[in-house]
Amino acid sequence: MKKALPALPSAALFLCLSLVPLAMLALFSFVAGNLSPAGQISGFTAANFIRAFSSWTFPRLLGKSVLIGLLVTAICIIIAYPAAWALAKVVKERRRSLMMSLVIVPFFTSQLLLIYAIMTLFQSKGLIMTFFGMLNLADPATSILYSNAAVVIVLVYEYLPYMILSLYTSLEGIGDDLLFASRSLGAGMWFTFRRVVFPMSLPGLLSGILLVLVPVTGSFVEPELIGGASGMMVGSLINSQFSEVLNMGYGAALSFVFLVALAGIMAIINRGMGRAAGV
Amino acid sequence: MHSKGFNRTMRIWLYATYFILFAPIAVIIIMSFNKTPFGMLPFAFTLEWYELLFTGEALIESALLSLELSFAVALSAMLLGTAAALGVQYLPRRARSLFMAVNNVPIVIPWLVQAVALLLIFNMTGLGRSYTGMYLGNLIVVLPYCVMMAAARFHEADRAPEDAARLLGANRFKVFWDVTLPMLLPGVVAGGLMAFMVCFNAFAMQYFLAPFGVNTLPMEIFTMIRSGYKPDMNALSALLIIVTLAVVLLLNKLNRRPNALSNRQQPS
Repeated sequence: MKKALPALPSAALFLCLSLVPLAMLALFSFVAGNLSPAGQISGFTAANFIRAFSSWTFPRLLGKSVLIGLLVTAICIIIAYPAAWALAKVVKERRRSLMMSLVIVPFFTSQLLLIYAIMTLFQSKGLIMTFFGMLNLADPATSILYSNAAVVIVLVYEYLPYMILSLYTSLEGIGDDLLFASRSLGAGMWFTFRRVVFPMSLPGLLSGILLVLVPVTGSFVEPELIGGASGMMVGSLINSQFSEVLNMGYGAALSFVFLVALAGIMAIINRGMGRAAGV
Repeated sequence: MHSKGFNRTMRIWLYATYFILFAPIAVIIIMSFNKTPFGMLPFAFTLEWYELLFTGEALIESALLSLELSFAVALSAMLLGTAAALGVQYLPRRARSLFMAVNNVPIVIPWLVQAVALLLIFNMTGLGRSYTGMYLGNLIVVLPYCVMMAAARFHEADRAPEDAARLLGANRFKVFWDVTLPMLLPGVVAGGLMAFMVCFNAFAMQYFLAPFGVNTLPMEIFTMIRSGYKPDMNALSALLIIVTLAVVLLLNKLNRRPNALSNRQQPS
């Protein structure tokens, strides 16, 4: 046990700066009003929870955010699965390492720059709208920015590398001999995919879903910059309690309910995946 | 899986995906040399946006702050993460997988929630929005990367040289310094670089935890995008993307040799 001591500082940090603050959200949910560094806690109340559910605003935004999260995750899987397969099994090994590095570039690029890049591309009279204008599909002076669709496009663009990398890790581990065996035993392509490839890719798929769905559902920068008036998500509402309205007790209650909802969704996905793996 | 046509389709799909990923970035870089400030056609070459960028002062100041913050955070995370990876391997299996699960929490949880939870704790303890708070907040979201990179190194590496050194009479410190550390080093450096990049871009943690009136570079960029178009944004983005590309290529080099020590000892 003495040899494990070097892990202690990190363990303490995770405890004090991650687990305890998240757990304390439950307590802060009952704080009345704001919680500023100088101010005392003025009292405890259940009003924050009552307020959260007395109108449709919060439940609707929560539901909408989960739907956007699911949609973005689904689009990412559809685009990333074949791409990760090609990366793991089709591309020559010599070129693979460079291509892997390239996938990491967007991952290391600031989220704000990625948003900005999409904005530049899609703005009215920008490259894409000019192109659509030439095809007479749309008026080049309009744009799809500042809408829910724009938020979805940006989020897919931002999180695609996470999904590709997760899936690649699993797909790369499937031995060619296994695929060959399946084929020589007479399995068709679809059967091989269903019985060999897909079950073996589940761990990567699951971690990909985790890495995309959860952060996307909680995004607030994208709706703020590119969503316009209709593009609000639950993150926008939480953010405004801390940076504009300054009602931190209410913000804590919203965050806490959101966190519980996320935990529930993850539990459902985990179980669903477990069942799919059992096929 | 079997046919040539299938493989070709997959390959084309892959290249199309790369096109989607890189077209917007490429457009930004090209447009940073375009004379019309709104990224529109026709294209006319100019360097004036880069001049504008380097003569403005607000950006330089916040860029320096971001560099300092990321350096401090990455260095701390590198040391803590390496120590954690060293220690965690001696834990019983159950405790080890618990540690790795807790390690993943700050990566998976939306940073909005993580940041807000920290702000509340800091406010309760009287720390409030401060440099210390911002440092701690950024540290906790990058530390997992350093732990993972160093731990992965342990997992892959050949441990026989360490036992050999011990058998030959080296003390624990000497074994660590001469054998374990060189073996870990690529993972440690890769983790540190990753921590630096992630911290440099950790907008949410800085947005909620930075002292009032203090802006890091991502916060400055956020304000620029929200307040409307600033022509030197393209030049700034292009520079940042090129730096990112350089770091990624460096990481690629570091990762190429999974066990530097045993590679060195192999007769070639």
